[in-house]
Amino acid sequence: MLKVIKPGLETSVQDWPGRIGFANQGFPVSGPFDSWSFRLANLLVGNPPGTAGLEAQFLGPTLAFTDDRLIAVTGADMRPTLDGVPLPMWESVAVTAGQVLALGPARSGARAYLAVAGGIATPPMLGSRATFHKAGVGGLGGHALSEGAGLPLGPAPRPGAAPGRRVAPGARPPIGQGKRHEVEAVRGPNDDWIDDAGHATFYGTDWVLTGRSDRTGYRLQGPVLSFAGRARDKPVEHGAQPANIIDQGYPLGAVNLAGDTLIILVQDGPSMGGFINPWTVPYAVFWKLAQARPGDILRFREVGVEEAQALARDLGRKCTPAAIVT
Amino acid sequence: MVYDTPRFLPAGDRYLLVEFGNHMTLEVNFMAHGLAAIVAAERPRGVIETAPAFASLLVHYEPEETSFAAVTDALGRLVAELGPSDQLELSSRLFCLPTAYLDPWSREAWERYCATIAPKTWDPELIVQHNGLADTAQLVRVHSGSEYWVAAIGWWPGVPFMLALDPRCKLSVPRYNPPRVWTRKGTVGLGGANTGIYPEDLPGGIQVFARIPVPIWDPAQRFDVFRDSICLLKPGDRVRFVPVTLEEFAEAERKVEEGSYAFNLVEYQKFSVPAYRAWVAGLDPAARF
Repeated sequence: MLKVIKPGLETSVQDWPGRIGFANQGFPVSGPFDSWSFRLANLLVGNPPGTAGLEAQFLGPTLAFTDDRLIAVTGADMRPTLDGVPLPMWESVAVTAGQVLALGPARSGARAYLAVAGGIATPPMLGSRATFHKAGVGGLGGHALSEGAGLPLGPAPRPGAAPGRRVAPGARPPIGQGKRHEVEAVRGPNDDWIDDAGHATFYGTDWVLTGRSDRTGYRLQGPVLSFAGRARDKPVEHGAQPANIIDQGYPLGAVNLAGDTLIILVQDGPSMGGFINPWTVPYAVFWKLAQARPGDILRFREVGVEEAQALARDLGRKCTPAAIVT
Repeated sequence: MVYDTPRFLPAGDRYLLVEFGNHMTLEVNFMAHGLAAIVAAERPRGVIETAPAFASLLVHYEPEETSFAAVTDALGRLVAELGPSDQLELSSRLFCLPTAYLDPWSREAWERYCATIAPKTWDPELIVQHNGLADTAQLVRVHSGSEYWVAAIGWWPGVPFMLALDPRCKLSVPRYNPPRVWTRKGTVGLGGANTGIYPEDLPGGIQVFARIPVPIWDPAQRFDVFRDSICLLKPGDRVRFVPVTLEEFAEAERKVEEGSYAFNLVEYQKFSVPAYRAWVAGLDPAARF
């Protein structure tokens, strides 16, 4: 078991790819925001890459182990310590019963991941342990960790992986490379509601990530975008504002134009609504969003669907046991 | 109303949106349900799941197993196999939900809004005004006079977006602006032409005028109808709101609490789009109940 001494800032149980199969009842996929770091943490400790682990945001938790386990911490650098001694990240480490793991504030990046051999064994809900706290679904009683809670662990794999396993150079996400992030974005599904000038503005602007950003949506601050004719000349059921459309499904990564405000819809975002999504950020580059901080600059780079899917396949190849060196 | 061929709109590396039309009509929505059903049955390679909305179907697929071109190709073939919307036959369950119309709880939500945000016309009265009804009693007759088609579910998990199937019962009203911050679980309302039900205590913008005592959201899965999910409704279900007194409401609520409530659910029917169209063609939509 893992005892929660300090919960940190909204630390939650997540698994990958998250809650699949309930989109038509309005459930978001949830799951780890930076699935690259998450999957590597699991691979380091010998788990299948999707095994339930913890996602810490901005300020990490303090946790006590009640049994001996292999663990790995990846993602943002929250200066992890084990009984006060610095713990190497991106490496499998053996902990013994009674030891205390402490993560602090993120020095760079925003989200850190903890994998434990055997995984977190909170009860799955609708096929996943991923936490969707807005609806109280999954995770530990539907919510983020709270002080004094105990997290059950699954049986450790036997034979277990060894301590000292590391992620191969080039196989891990380059986190903490400054305050500017180049983020790929594909046109569509509603790109024909925006005119050429609007697209040029979107791809040519330094968008500021605002503090009102979380696992539901990333709100961006920047210029007003201009619309194509379709946004004004449309059947009345689309709604009164230019950005209104007949309620439609929202893809994960949708760059949603909510009135005048751009919001990137991420892990726990709404499944449908009545605003247009002129662009979509590919899931393969979500790690960039997950590790950006309020005040950082996002600059979108236009890619086609084929390039986005090449990125997805490339990420899939990086998140395999071949990424781990012993 | 329905495009001759649907538009396949890319949405990142693993989603696409199939748009069937530019209008919010049942006919367009039936196409989305038809494609969802045939995708679930045929399971084209790499397709993970779909979710219908009013005029479109969102498709989630795995780019490590397929590509945008291959998926749109496969979906295009399935659309052709489906044929035109006027030949569709869709699996559809029918739920009868006991409903307290003009109830004290939706009135309380309106009163709170007036007291804390802005004064506005009482929701049922606003619907009466916008639809040329005689009074709120007629609103109850008209709203409860139709079956409702669950066109989509979402925004918050389990929230149904429902359209009246009987054109004589079609009502429409603008939403709250700004929205309410609080609505009681089980409250029923109308926004645009959609009837919705709140699965939990939630903010929201639809005009509210009724409440059901039975859960449509059950995280503990206490009732057998929740065995596959924690949401009662699925896209393509139908709902009928059965007016009950506050005494009957309280009795149903008591049975829900003790776990003995029996959901009124019909599972043997299919929804035939051609039979529906033939029926609608003979109706006078102006003939209100």
